[in-house]
Amino acid sequence: MSLFPWRRAARSGRVWFGLAVILVLFLVAALTPWISPHDPYASSFTQSRLPPAWVQGGPEPGMAEFPLGTDRAGRDILSRLIHGTRTAVVLALTAVSLAALIGALMGLVAGYMGGAADTWLTFLFDTLQSLPGIMFMVMIVLIFRDGLAPTWVNGVLTLVVGFAAVGWVSLARLVRVSTQQIKVRPFVEAAVSLGGSPWHILSRHLLPNVSHVIVVWVINTIPAVILLEALLGYVGIGVTRAVDGDEFGIVSWGGLIFSGRSSLSFNPLMVIGPSVGILLMTMSFVLLADSLGEGQRQGVEI
Amino acid sequence: MLRLLVRKLLRMAASLLGVTLIVFLLMRAIPGNPWANYATTPRFTLGVASDTGFQRELVRRYGLDLPAWRQFTRYVFGDVDDNGVLFCGAVCGNLGPSIQRRGPSVQQILFEAPEDRTVLESRFGYTLRMVLFGALFAIGLGVPLGALSATRPRSALSRVISVGLAGLVSVPNFILGLIAILVLGVWLRVTTVVPDWGKPGNWIAPVIVLAAVPMASIARVTHAALVNILSEDYVRTARAKGLSRDKVMMRHVFRPALAPIITFLGPLSMEMLAGSLIVEGLYGFPGFGRSFFTAVLELDYPMILGLTVVYASGILIINLLVEVACELIDPRLRAGRPQRAQQ
Repeated sequence: MSLFPWRRAARSGRVWFGLAVILVLFLVAALTPWISPHDPYASSFTQSRLPPAWVQGGPEPGMAEFPLGTDRAGRDILSRLIHGTRTAVVLALTAVSLAALIGALMGLVAGYMGGAADTWLTFLFDTLQSLPGIMFMVMIVLIFRDGLAPTWVNGVLTLVVGFAAVGWVSLARLVRVSTQQIKVRPFVEAAVSLGGSPWHILSRHLLPNVSHVIVVWVINTIPAVILLEALLGYVGIGVTRAVDGDEFGIVSWGGLIFSGRSSLSFNPLMVIGPSVGILLMTMSFVLLADSLGEGQRQGVEI
Repeated sequence: MLRLLVRKLLRMAASLLGVTLIVFLLMRAIPGNPWANYATTPRFTLGVASDTGFQRELVRRYGLDLPAWRQFTRYVFGDVDDNGVLFCGAVCGNLGPSIQRRGPSVQQILFEAPEDRTVLESRFGYTLRMVLFGALFAIGLGVPLGALSATRPRSALSRVISVGLAGLVSVPNFILGLIAILVLGVWLRVTTVVPDWGKPGNWIAPVIVLAAVPMASIARVTHAALVNILSEDYVRTARAKGLSRDKVMMRHVFRPALAPIITFLGPLSMEMLAGSLIVEGLYGFPGFGRSFFTAVLELDYPMILGLTVVYASGILIINLLVEVACELIDPRLRAGRPQRAQQ
């Protein structure tokens, strides 16, 4: 793992900022059941559309019980925000790991085998990348959604499958190219002449040498998943189910924005809260990826 | 060279057929049918057939009672219609009748402009122009920004640019769009609710919202490409032998940096096409950005497949042009060598 500029990263303020934000969000996700003040699904029509607690002048004063107010079904916005964080974190971790697993395997096979396998796999990559991934995702989510009960686990599972089905292609391409560059090096030749099986060479000699590509891809892709989830939620087909313009089922940042759009004028926090969450989480990962991946090295004076 | 091009075109056609098949299989796996699913039917009547005879006639008319493979070949290559006349499918540009917009065919919906207007005023024309202007904006601003931050290291300007870009790539475009509507429409009142798209001024806000994130991405790619090349030994050599800064930049730096930047045009156009869904929805833009999603929700099968063909051919053509352009710039790529990895 000496391929990473650890020392430079440790001195960078951006890296520490990113790590701190990620740590806080992960803590929120892990401690969700304990820090969330209310049940995010519990609705009460007597306490709907409450303003935030510090708004006292209006026709309906805010209640200290609901710090950020309630939505139109009377559900606590703060709790929904916290549960949305958990959805985003869990989704990002599982979906990206699954996609990374498939992508790395496909890329290694295509790059190492070459010949017909490479031709066919590259053809598959081209085919899958000739539509924006979100279009496949929408269809996959719709296929699973009606059959599954609307629980949180099922909702996340659907999105994980949807993302993994399309997300792996970009990693496979990167891994394929790196593998092609590495497999012509003498140490691989030596392993082949010593009688190493293809699996041994793939896992022991090639995988460690492309691992930095995979790690950088993973960090770069986590924000993409969070944005995709938000986008799907915003369109109304994400983790949430849109029924009659309102959503039920699973709380997510995108879903919150989707349902908060209509109440922008009376409680913009429903849109601002998740937006800030998305921005912070995505930006931390982008900054982290920059420092690790050397993608955004400082410029050079000539 | 010509043989290579023909081979690429054949591969492109195969990819197009492949993606159509994948979308066909996926869309048929979505539960429900065009006349009974939750987007077209109130939820409580789901699964309750209103008039089975009528519905059976509809199913037959759109060929949905045929076996799946015949539905696919019927769509792609053509089939015999009710009167025994042979008709040609998507290969001839016939994208089929839209099920939900009873009457017009998919190609009419997409490409037909109102009376005495050019194709630029069709749904396709509007989205094409929007994406084109967006791409121009993204490239025109993104490339100089990336170059600026790469060639002026450790300056305050470069720091501001790089953090700003990292921030910008993290904002989903629907949030940007909401902010833009809030600022321009609600506070400053410069945009109207139903804008006249004949006026160029009204295009500014949607185009910027659509292109902001791609602009940041392309600036980051430009930055990375330039930094990679600026630290090459030959650049130092060129500088050391006395070439001026500008000459080195033009001759030795920008030319090799073009390939990765051009390569990024593929993902860029993809990002913009996906973004047009949100932006067109936010601004009530008369393009076809939302059509794919409404078609999937309403299970308008010919519409889904027709849009797949349109999108995929667009993206495949862009990728082909990008590949050819890169080979023209960098002779090393011509021999079919693997391209360098791009983020």
